[in-house]
Amino acid sequence: MERSRNGKHTIISKRGRSRIGEWFRRKAVFVREDEAGTSSIFSWSPYVWITALIGLLTAVLHPFGLFLDPVNIALIYLIPVLLSAAYGGIGPSFYAALLGVLAFDFFFVPPFLSFTVADLRYLISFAVFLAVAGLTGSLAARLKQQLRFSKQREAHTASLYELSRQMSAITDIHSLLANVTRKVSEMIQTQAAIYLPDEHDELRLTAASPGHSDGGQSESERMIAKWVFQHGEAAGKGSGVLRETSGFYVPLRTEDRVYGVLAIKLEKESGAIPPDTRRLLEALGGLAAIAIARLKLTEEARIAHLSAESEKLRTALLDSVSHELRTPLATIIGSATGLIEGDKLFSPEDRLELLAAIRDGALRMNRLVANLLGMVKLESGMLQLRKKWCDLEDIIGVVLAQVKDFQQHREINVKLPERVPVLLGDEVLLEQMLVNVVSNSIKYSPDYSRIAISVKADEDNVEISVADSGVGLSAADRERIFEKFYRAGRTKHIPGTGLGLAICKGIAELHGGTISAQPNVEGGTVMTIALPQNEESRRNPSLQEGRNYNDDEPG
Amino acid sequence: MTNPDNGARILIIDDEPQIRKLLKVTLQAHRFDIFEASAGEEGILQASVSHPDLIVLDLGLPDISGMDVLLRIREWSSVPVIVLTAKEREEDKIAALDSGADDYVTKPFGMGELLARIRVALRHVAKSANEPVLEFGELKIDLAHRSVELHGERLKLTPTEYDLLKVLALSAGKVITQRQLLQQVWGGHHHESDSHYLRVYIGHLRKKLEEDPTRPKFIVTEPGIGYRFLSRD
Repeated sequence: MERSRNGKHTIISKRGRSRIGEWFRRKAVFVREDEAGTSSIFSWSPYVWITALIGLLTAVLHPFGLFLDPVNIALIYLIPVLLSAAYGGIGPSFYAALLGVLAFDFFFVPPFLSFTVADLRYLISFAVFLAVAGLTGSLAARLKQQLRFSKQREAHTASLYELSRQMSAITDIHSLLANVTRKVSEMIQTQAAIYLPDEHDELRLTAASPGHSDGGQSESERMIAKWVFQHGEAAGKGSGVLRETSGFYVPLRTEDRVYGVLAIKLEKESGAIPPDTRRLLEALGGLAAIAIARLKLTEEARIAHLSAESEKLRTALLDSVSHELRTPLATIIGSATGLIEGDKLFSPEDRLELLAAIRDGALRMNRLVANLLGMVKLESGMLQLRKKWCDLEDIIGVVLAQVKDFQQHREINVKLPERVPVLLGDEVLLEQMLVNVVSNSIKYSPDYSRIAISVKADEDNVEISVADSGVGLSAADRERIFEKFYRAGRTKHIPGTGLGLAICKGIAELHGGTISAQPNVEGGTVMTIALPQNEESRRNPSLQEGRNYNDDEPG
Repeated sequence: MTNPDNGARILIIDDEPQIRKLLKVTLQAHRFDIFEASAGEEGILQASVSHPDLIVLDLGLPDISGMDVLLRIREWSSVPVIVLTAKEREEDKIAALDSGADDYVTKPFGMGELLARIRVALRHVAKSANEPVLEFGELKIDLAHRSVELHGERLKLTPTEYDLLKVLALSAGKVITQRQLLQQVWGGHHHESDSHYLRVYIGHLRKKLEEDPTRPKFIVTEPGIGYRFLSRD
């Protein structure tokens, strides 16, 4: 009851009180919804209460009235005034004072039961009574109002704080804007929308609170938003500009720049926006602007980083390609021209050697081109996984066949578990990855050394390890060898582009797996590829058993 | 190396003059008769006029695709066709093999490999399919009695394993796609996803045939495409 009256009185100013009261009731600027929900324009109940209280007081006092000093009775009549001032506000307290004076006059001032005053000195008492009542009433009411204001402010600050905290956690501009509009529409109980300039500097509706309708006035709304964006000032109902429109527009601005416009839709018949709500909106706008600025800066930093990266990559690519392509080309061209021009000079053995050099150079170039193409495919996202059931034993067999000519005298041992795991993956890519890893081990380990391929499987993962006893890697290199064009320091003298392992990493990641390098206990490196076993492969025992497809009695 | 196929007529359909030249020089050096066509339509015409014993067909042709050439030749001829492709596209190779190509060679290719494939394809035609016993070194497959011997010992194979081995061995040296295997062993009703059963059976077969299944000597995998039964002779 009191709350509702507070609502009315604190907001009411001299003009248009009922309309603003109405607006506030429906718009519920009050931060707490219960206040908003129960408030009304004009509540009769305090007056009824006061009337009842004074009536009761009069009825109780009347029998004793003749024994008591009228001054004491007048003082007792101050009690309803003080009560109504404390709980009701200025209106009820005046009413209580007036009713108190009338009751006092009628029942206790001679002649009794008449408003006539026999002793005119009583008029002074009445005046003092009214003055005291008025003063206490207005003081109490103002106190209450201040309390309500500070409560409201505290709520505003809290919600601003909450919003700013939420914003700092958001890294995506769209969810940020959606969050702001939702928050605004929750706080002000109205539809909110945010306009941001697009790449052509045209303002566009970028985010809107749920239920935001563009209906009919989107064009004018956009025009006003544009004006606000250009001038960096708030506009709309209650502001100096465009006060006839049905919305309120706040620029999202920081010190140096306007980032967009926050638009609030107001009901047609409602009045201007109150100053504290406006301040709240401006604060929200500032907050949103800072968040947008932060995201834009992050984005710019990211782009700058990317372009620096791609610059680095381009240089690496050029270096690598020019070196790695030209070396075999030089061999090929040199050997071929030698053979053509000096046909008679060479012995059959020389000839064979030159031809072998041509073949090897061409093979090396082919590897480089394949790697470059693979990288381009990976990077451009063209690499589509053609997932099928893959038998790791089979894949390892293919890998061993592929590296057979290349392994020279290195011994490659394979250790497989009892049940060779079956993976859902792209057979060709998995094989290419494993060929790359095994070739790498061969390349960086001495002749007559041993390379061990082992497979381990648990519930979730299949791990393929390739262990060599080569030169090994420094701790810093272990991370970086999977980067494009990175060559480990100790092995720079061995030709290569630094693409193979980067491709392996890409393929492993396409399969949801990882690839890593650890030092081997006996020296050298262990490359471990971990691939996730998916649900199906674990649930499908037939794959491991292979016994339920058809008749399978030994024949 | 003595070559029983000397004198065989080979048609090369490729739009790259350098590849044609390379093939012509090398194959002629191995005593093959060479015909050339630089485009698809021309190749089809040549195939019908010059009656080659084998066709080397590039899949990327300027006028019509190599696949179309293959399909149109297959309408009236069962001449062995070896397809030349650029490495990347497994589905092209599979499509070509499924449509009746005998083998494929990827660019860039080693000449030795191409010659070996040509020999296998030519011999396959020459060989009558009615040989009752197939012998591959230590492995003997008796088609009449459905029995398989390795090192003189009889292998216990399930009916499916035997059928699989038979289909592979009858096309020894040639690549057979997973689809072809599924079709010939399990019949027409199979599914793309059934290929993992195929893997399981190949795995079992390898365990029985191969000394080291990770280093198979008989059944090798052509990644992403199918299997090839090696005939080492």
